[in-house]
Amino acid sequence: MTELELSEIQAFLLNEYKEMGCSKYYLMQVKDAAATKIFLATVAHGITHASATITRTCLNIGFTSNGLKQLGYHETNMHSFSREFREGMVTEHRQRLLGDFDSSDPSKWQWGGPANERIDLMMMVFGKDEATAGDFYQELKEKFEPALSVVHVLDGKPLPNNREHFGFRDGLSQPVIKGSGFKPSGNNNDIDPGEFVLGYKNEYNVYPDTALLKVAQGKPELLEDNAEGLADEQTNIKYKDVGQNGTYFVLRQLQQDVNGFWGFLKNQTAAGADEKTRNEEATMLAAKMMGRWPGGAPLVKYDKDPGIDVVDDNFNYLKEDASGDKCPFGAHIRRVNPRDVFEESPQKVSLNLTRRHRIMRRVRSYGEDFIGSAANHQPNGEVGLLFGCFNANISKQFEFIQYTWANSPKFKRLYADPDPFIGVREDPEKKLQQIFTIPQSTTNRVITDMQSFVTVKGGGYFFFPSITVIKFLATI
Amino acid sequence: MCMINQQPLITLSAIREDKLDMLKTRLETIRVNLLNSQMAEAPTEFGKVGTLHYGRWIILSRDSFRDEPAVPVGIRLVLSTNYDAIGNDHLDYHLTELVTKLTTYIDDVYECCVGYPEQGERTEESRKNFLKKGIIRTSAFYNGAPGRSVEQIHQEDALHQHIWKFLTSNKWNEQTPAVEIHRAIRQEIDARPEFAWTKEKAGVQGIKWLPLIAYGALFLILLPLIIVWLIYLFIFHELWDKKVTLAQSGLDDTRINELKKVEDVFPQNQFTQVAVLKPGFARHLNFRIWMMRTEVLASLVFVKGKLLNIPTIHFARWVLIDKNNHVLFFSNFDGNWEQYLGDFIDQSGWGLTSIFSNTIKFPRTNFMGVLGIIPGMPLTFPGTKFVLTGGAYDEEHFLAWSRSTQLPTQVWYCPYRHLSIKNINNNTNIRNGLRENLNEEQAKIFLKRF
Repeated sequence: MTELELSEIQAFLLNEYKEMGCSKYYLMQVKDAAATKIFLATVAHGITHASATITRTCLNIGFTSNGLKQLGYHETNMHSFSREFREGMVTEHRQRLLGDFDSSDPSKWQWGGPANERIDLMMMVFGKDEATAGDFYQELKEKFEPALSVVHVLDGKPLPNNREHFGFRDGLSQPVIKGSGFKPSGNNNDIDPGEFVLGYKNEYNVYPDTALLKVAQGKPELLEDNAEGLADEQTNIKYKDVGQNGTYFVLRQLQQDVNGFWGFLKNQTAAGADEKTRNEEATMLAAKMMGRWPGGAPLVKYDKDPGIDVVDDNFNYLKEDASGDKCPFGAHIRRVNPRDVFEESPQKVSLNLTRRHRIMRRVRSYGEDFIGSAANHQPNGEVGLLFGCFNANISKQFEFIQYTWANSPKFKRLYADPDPFIGVREDPEKKLQQIFTIPQSTTNRVITDMQSFVTVKGGGYFFFPSITVIKFLATI
Repeated sequence: MCMINQQPLITLSAIREDKLDMLKTRLETIRVNLLNSQMAEAPTEFGKVGTLHYGRWIILSRDSFRDEPAVPVGIRLVLSTNYDAIGNDHLDYHLTELVTKLTTYIDDVYECCVGYPEQGERTEESRKNFLKKGIIRTSAFYNGAPGRSVEQIHQEDALHQHIWKFLTSNKWNEQTPAVEIHRAIRQEIDARPEFAWTKEKAGVQGIKWLPLIAYGALFLILLPLIIVWLIYLFIFHELWDKKVTLAQSGLDDTRINELKKVEDVFPQNQFTQVAVLKPGFARHLNFRIWMMRTEVLASLVFVKGKLLNIPTIHFARWVLIDKNNHVLFFSNFDGNWEQYLGDFIDQSGWGLTSIFSNTIKFPRTNFMGVLGIIPGMPLTFPGTKFVLTGGAYDEEHFLAWSRSTQLPTQVWYCPYRHLSIKNINNNTNIRNGLRENLNEEQAKIFLKRF
C-alpha cells in the first residue's frame, strides 16, 4: 500500500479538528502579489500538515483559480488544473448542475457570486476557543497585511454532539484514506488515496488528472516529478507536479430554514392528534427523509427512534432493505452513499462503484447554537451549515453526488423525488411535481409539494496545495 | 398484443458552402424555438410527427473530427431519427411524415444543401427522394424499450399519473389488503373510457433464447480462432499503440463550452461522437467483429432497458460512414454526461473498449479489454503482476477521449424528456400488471411501482 506523505498534506483533509471549538474562514484578496508571496514563504512552515501534533490552533490555506492568476501563475500551467477548479462554482452550466436557482441564485450570494468581490484565497484559522483563534489570527494579520485584504469571514463551529441545525447527527459516514495511517474503518469506507489526494492512484487504479507544470516558472526544483511519469513529448523531460499531495476543496454556505422544515413536516401529520403524537410523526417523517433518526441511528437497523445517539455506519441496503420499506430510496443518506445498491449492479460491483463517488466532508455550523426538533424549531437569526468537502475530482465526486444523486428526481426508479434536503427546487419547471415517496407495505405514503428549506448563500472551489507547493508558489 | 418496432434513420446531405452560415442560423432558431416551447409546456413543431421518438441535426465537417480524417470529408448535415415502424414500407411512411408534417423545417434546412429541389419543384415525392439519397445503414442499434411507440409511452405515462393521483388522494386503511387496492385501481381505470386501451396487454420483448444459444454455440466454436486473433492483434497492433496522455484538463475550452451550453437542461441528454478508425485491414475487421457482436446482443439480449449493463439509455447506435473509415455514435440517455460516461466505464468498459480501441488515439489497451469482462474490474492474472487495464478502464484518459471526440449537436428533440427509461419500462409493467390476477405478494410489488 502506498503511504501518504503526511508531512506534505494539509491536515484538514485527514483531520476534522473536532477539538477546535472555533473555525474562521477568511476569504481574501491579493492586493500585492509580491508581498503575498513573501507572506506565503513565511507562513508555509506554520500550516498544519497531517503529521503535525495538533495543540491549540490550526491553519490551512486554499487558493481559487483567480488567486493563482493573481500570483502570476502561468496561463498554460493554469490550464492543467481541472476545469471545475479553473471555472469556479459559478458558470451557467454549473448552475444547472448544482441546482442553484431562485433564492440560491449565485447573483444573490453573499460571497463567491458574480456580484461579490473576487476571492483569491481562503485562510482557515482554527482555535480551541474563540479567544485562541482570535489571538492566532492577530498574529497572522500582522504578517499578511497589507499584502492581502479580507473580503468576507465565515464563522463556523461544531454544534454539540455533532448535530446540525435541523437536529440530526452529522458526519457519521466518512471515508478513510488508505495509507493515511488511520485505522481502516471497514464497511466500504476505506478508499484509495487518489480519490482525495492528487499524485496517488484512485479507485480506478489510475492517477487523477493533476496540475502539471508545463512551463517552467519560479523554482521548479522544489517540486517532484509527476507520479504518472508524463513527459514533454519533445524533450522527454518529466513534468513537475504542482498537484502532488494537494487536493480540491468545495465550500458552500447553506442557510437552513429550521422553522420551515419542521413546520412543513408537522403540517403533514394527523390533524386532531395531540401535540406529542404529532411531534413523533413529524420526527418519523424527518427520519424517513434523512435515512437516520436524529441521533444517528440508521433506519435500516432501527424501526423506532431509540431516542439516544447511535454512531453506526455498519449497514447495507441490498439484503436489509431491498424494498425501501425501512429507508426510502429517496432518503438523503441512501442517495448520497448508495452502498451496495448502486443502480442494479451486483452487490460487489455496487460497492466498488460507490467508492468512486465519495467525498471527505468537513462541515461546520454557523449562527446560534441551536439544534432543532419537532418540538422546538425556532432559532434566533440566520442559521446554517458551512458545507465543505475534499475530493480529487470535483466533477466525479461532489458535482456527481449533487446532480446525479441528489438533484435528479429520476434517481433510481423514482419519478419526481429530488433529495428532500439538498435537491428540491424552490420554483420548479412548470407542471413538475416534487414529491417524497415513503414505501410502505401496501400503498406508499407520498408527501407532495415538497419545499426547499436550504438556500445557498455562497460558494467556491479551492485548491489546497501541499506544503512544498505553497513554498513553490512563493517563488513564482 | 400490440407491438410496434422502432427503427433508426440516418441520412447525410452535403451542405452548400455559400449557405453554411444561413443553415447554422436556421438550426439555432429551430433549437431556440423548440426549447422555448418545451419550457412553456407548449406543443412543438416536431411533436406533429407523432411517431418520432428522438431526432437530431448535426453539422459534420472537418472541424467535428478531433483527429485527421482517414479520407477527405466535406461539410455535411446529418439527420438522425428513431421512429415507430408503421406499415409495410415503414421508412417511406416515416419520410412522408417528416416532409409533410415538418415541411417548413425540412425546406428551411435542406435548401441549404446540395441538390435539394428548387422551390417550384418541391413535392412530397421530391423531398422524400432527396432525403432517401443520403440514407446510410446503421451498423448497430439499441432500443431501451423495444415495442413502445411514442403514443404508447404517452398513454402509459398518463395511466401511471392517473393511478398515482388515485392512490395518493385516497386514504387507505393500513389493514386493506394489497389485492383489494389493486382491484380498486382496476375499477377506477375501467370507469374511464380514455383508458380503454389498457384492456389490451402491451407486448414486451423477452430475451430471444434460441438464437442466443445458437450465437453462443457459434462463439464457442470460433473461440480458438478468436483467441488466436486476439493474440495476433495484441502482438502486432496493440503493443505498438502509443500511450495516450490527454487528460480532461487538456481539452479545448471553446469546444467544451459549446457542448455544455445545451447540456443538463432536462433530465435527459444526448451524445454524438465521431471517431476515425485506425488504418489497416486488421483494425477494420476487428471493429466489424465486435460491432457485429454488439448488434447481435442488442437485438437478442439487451431488450430490457440495459445496453451492455448500462441502465440509462433510451436509444443508441453506431454508424459507419465515409467508406467505413469513420464511425458515428449517437445516444439518448438519462442523467448527465459524467454519470453516463462513468456508467460506460463501470458497467461496460469491456464492451466499449472492444469497439472503440480500433479508433485513433483511444487509450491504450490490452486484448481490447474484452477479457476484462468482469464489469468495472481490471482482471489480474493469478500470481502475476500483469493487469488487464487500459482502454475505458483508463478512466481519466478515457473520459478525455470521449469528450474530445464528441461533437456539438445543433438540434435535438425528444417528446418525453421527463421520463427516464426506467420510468417507461415501469409504466408498461403497470399497464400489464393492472389486469393480471395477482396474489397478495404480487399485488404488493405492483403497488411498489408508484
